[in-house]
Amino acid sequence: MKKFGVFLVVFAVFFSFAVVISAQEENTDDAAADEATEQAVEIPGSVDMTLEMKPDKFVMPANFRGGDPDRGLVNALEDVFYEQHEHSILYKEDAGEVAEGASFEGDPNITWDTKVKDADGNFQTVSSVNTNMAGNGGKFFAPGEYQIGNGGARQVGGGEGAEDVATGNEGDEDGGAAGGNQTDEALVGENGETAEGGAKTVTANQAMGVLVHDVTAPDIWIAFQEGAGNIDMAATEQELKNKMVEKIVANLGRPFSQKAEEYEDASYVFVDEGTSDERNLEPWKKTARLSVAGALFNDRGAPKFETKTVESKTLSEENMTRQIHVAGGEDEALKGVFVRRNVPFIFAAMSVDNGNNRGSTAEVACRIETADGKEVEKDGKAYLFRVPNYPREEYKDQPEYFFVSKAMDKSGNLTTVRMPLYIVNIQAAFEGGRNQ
Amino acid sequence: MKKIKAAVFAAVVMFGSMVSAQEPPQGAPVDLEKTPWLKGVELSPYPTDLTPTLPLAIYLENGEAVPATVTEDVPLVLVADTAIFDNDPPTHANDQEIPNPRWDAAAAVSWYFIDWEKNQNFNASTTPGLAANQMIVIPTTPTGKGAITCHMARRLRYDAPEPGRSKVSYANSSVGRDVRVLDITPPLCGLEISVEKGKSGSFWPVEFPPDKYPLPKTANVYFSGGLFDAVDKEIVVEGLELGANMVVAAEQVAVKVAPDAKLSIRVIGGDNYKLDNAKLKYGICNAGGGEPIPVGPINEETIDLANLELPEKPYIFVDATDTTGNRQILFVPLSVTEK
Repeated sequence: MKKFGVFLVVFAVFFSFAVVISAQEENTDDAAADEATEQAVEIPGSVDMTLEMKPDKFVMPANFRGGDPDRGLVNALEDVFYEQHEHSILYKEDAGEVAEGASFEGDPNITWDTKVKDADGNFQTVSSVNTNMAGNGGKFFAPGEYQIGNGGARQVGGGEGAEDVATGNEGDEDGGAAGGNQTDEALVGENGETAEGGAKTVTANQAMGVLVHDVTAPDIWIAFQEGAGNIDMAATEQELKNKMVEKIVANLGRPFSQKAEEYEDASYVFVDEGTSDERNLEPWKKTARLSVAGALFNDRGAPKFETKTVESKTLSEENMTRQIHVAGGEDEALKGVFVRRNVPFIFAAMSVDNGNNRGSTAEVACRIETADGKEVEKDGKAYLFRVPNYPREEYKDQPEYFFVSKAMDKSGNLTTVRMPLYIVNIQAAFEGGRNQ
Repeated sequence: MKKIKAAVFAAVVMFGSMVSAQEPPQGAPVDLEKTPWLKGVELSPYPTDLTPTLPLAIYLENGEAVPATVTEDVPLVLVADTAIFDNDPPTHANDQEIPNPRWDAAAAVSWYFIDWEKNQNFNASTTPGLAANQMIVIPTTPTGKGAITCHMARRLRYDAPEPGRSKVSYANSSVGRDVRVLDITPPLCGLEISVEKGKSGSFWPVEFPPDKYPLPKTANVYFSGGLFDAVDKEIVVEGLELGANMVVAAEQVAVKVAPDAKLSIRVIGGDNYKLDNAKLKYGICNAGGGEPIPVGPINEETIDLANLELPEKPYIFVDATDTTGNRQILFVPLSVTEK
């Protein structure tokens, strides 16, 4: 029995040694065998690839914003730079892992492909960049579901497979090159060589899903319009809304004009992501652009177009949501909205969001309220104030009114406006515009 | 007891050796001088997820193989045949069983044309509206060594080990077909002409519309410079057939020089693949069109008109041929008038 134990140990050591040698010398043994048979191992048509987003503090957790942790998509933020990297045995120095005895003929060809999922669930190409690098970086400029794909290819020689030809016809696997009536001989180029005489193109690809989250507050347009005489204010309000629906989409949230004279019918407050160089800023740098246009934004009723930037603030650190708040007041760029006593007026507000590429509108909640937050109701089909409250020092006994508006996108980004509403005595010196 | 210990030791050694033999080869450390494309890559090339790579075949719409030689600008309708479009997803990835696999999204498909001579890649896709596994590929770049490649990925969901949980990976499918692309576009050569102590100008053809098929190809010829009364502007002669008989009419534009002018001439432009420099000719000929019959020296950088006996309607010509044999001859009238 003692001898059997010794035999067992010796057998084990020899066996393990043999297996290790077998594993380590697989290449050389196989190469020798190949040489003997003068038959190289078949080169595969494609090989595996790995791909992932590089770790970054802005790669958000799997359950970001309450998402399904098993969704399997990388949670990312719009307008933030991310890096991806990929790898494959196709990118190694030595082709031995692609096929025994094979060799690479030249550098790999590497293309980074970004596709976005459309409403039908199909992926449409956003960009396709041939970098020939296995690392890549860039920003997603709009929220949505994306698929990052990497397609790699490299010429591999030294094995079988360089001449294989795939066809759709069964039994035609080993057929030569075909193409209607054309033959290779007829089409051979300058050197008399055919493409299948050399190396074979081997491919690899891998993909990664990325859910890009909206961190931009929605754009808001607010329009105020005074009425007089027998104007149907309800119809006017609907007309105003229709005009905004049409123009806010067509102008991607930007003011439809910067000329004060084009705001004679109605006065507007625009809050949007800004000019092209102001858009797509990183979340922590985001601003909005406030523009006021028309005659109702100063106590003299003078038509004007003025614009300035407004900084954003973090609404929720955890959810990475932003808020744009426009506060009107005596010391602010937007002093308030000035309407005339005994003149009915209406207002309406619309918003667009970059969450759907500003492709559709949503009506925005807005109202007039007192300082204590109590809503002021319409007088019939329009708002109407009979007692002035401006200048404030002359009408301290009259209530303060505020116009408030709030638009929130599906992601929780918020745009809010709160500005004083002043009722001006009709005897006051209105100098310009239709108020005169 | 000793026997048991020995047996356990033997089993551990055997098991360890077998595991060692099954590990994927790691290869040499990355040498960025030899593999610069791996700069910044900190990822293993070996997938750990259940991410199957499926075979893919591409062939012509009629079921025939992709020809080894295709023709520039001639569309090919290609079909991709892969299990990535099957109703049922693959059940194994690298011999590992995928637990309860189901597709989780539509397949994303990309087609490319690679010019291996430049290691440059072009989007091969053109016409939308085909089936997901079809694509019209137009190889617009002649090359002696190219490939049409197709890459696909489709999101796959499968059961995670934890009850009620699932994981996501991608089924991938890609292939390349090596092709050479035959050049069918004639060269696009022009001339830059300087008159000694006088004006200068240049003319050159531009293929328009680009990548036109079926043949014939056409080109616009641009004239610029004081020699053509086109300073800070271009005169365009539109719609000439690109080939061996490109004749600019005298009433459109001409090279206007004095009888004793000395012309310095240089060829500009080239071919979209390879110009056959041995066949390149330029000079003055006796008529516009046909095989140019030279008047005076050929391929001389300087031509002294005073030394030539010019015909009644001379032309300046450039005759260029590419390595495939496509030929372009452009004739521009030479108007010789006293100052």
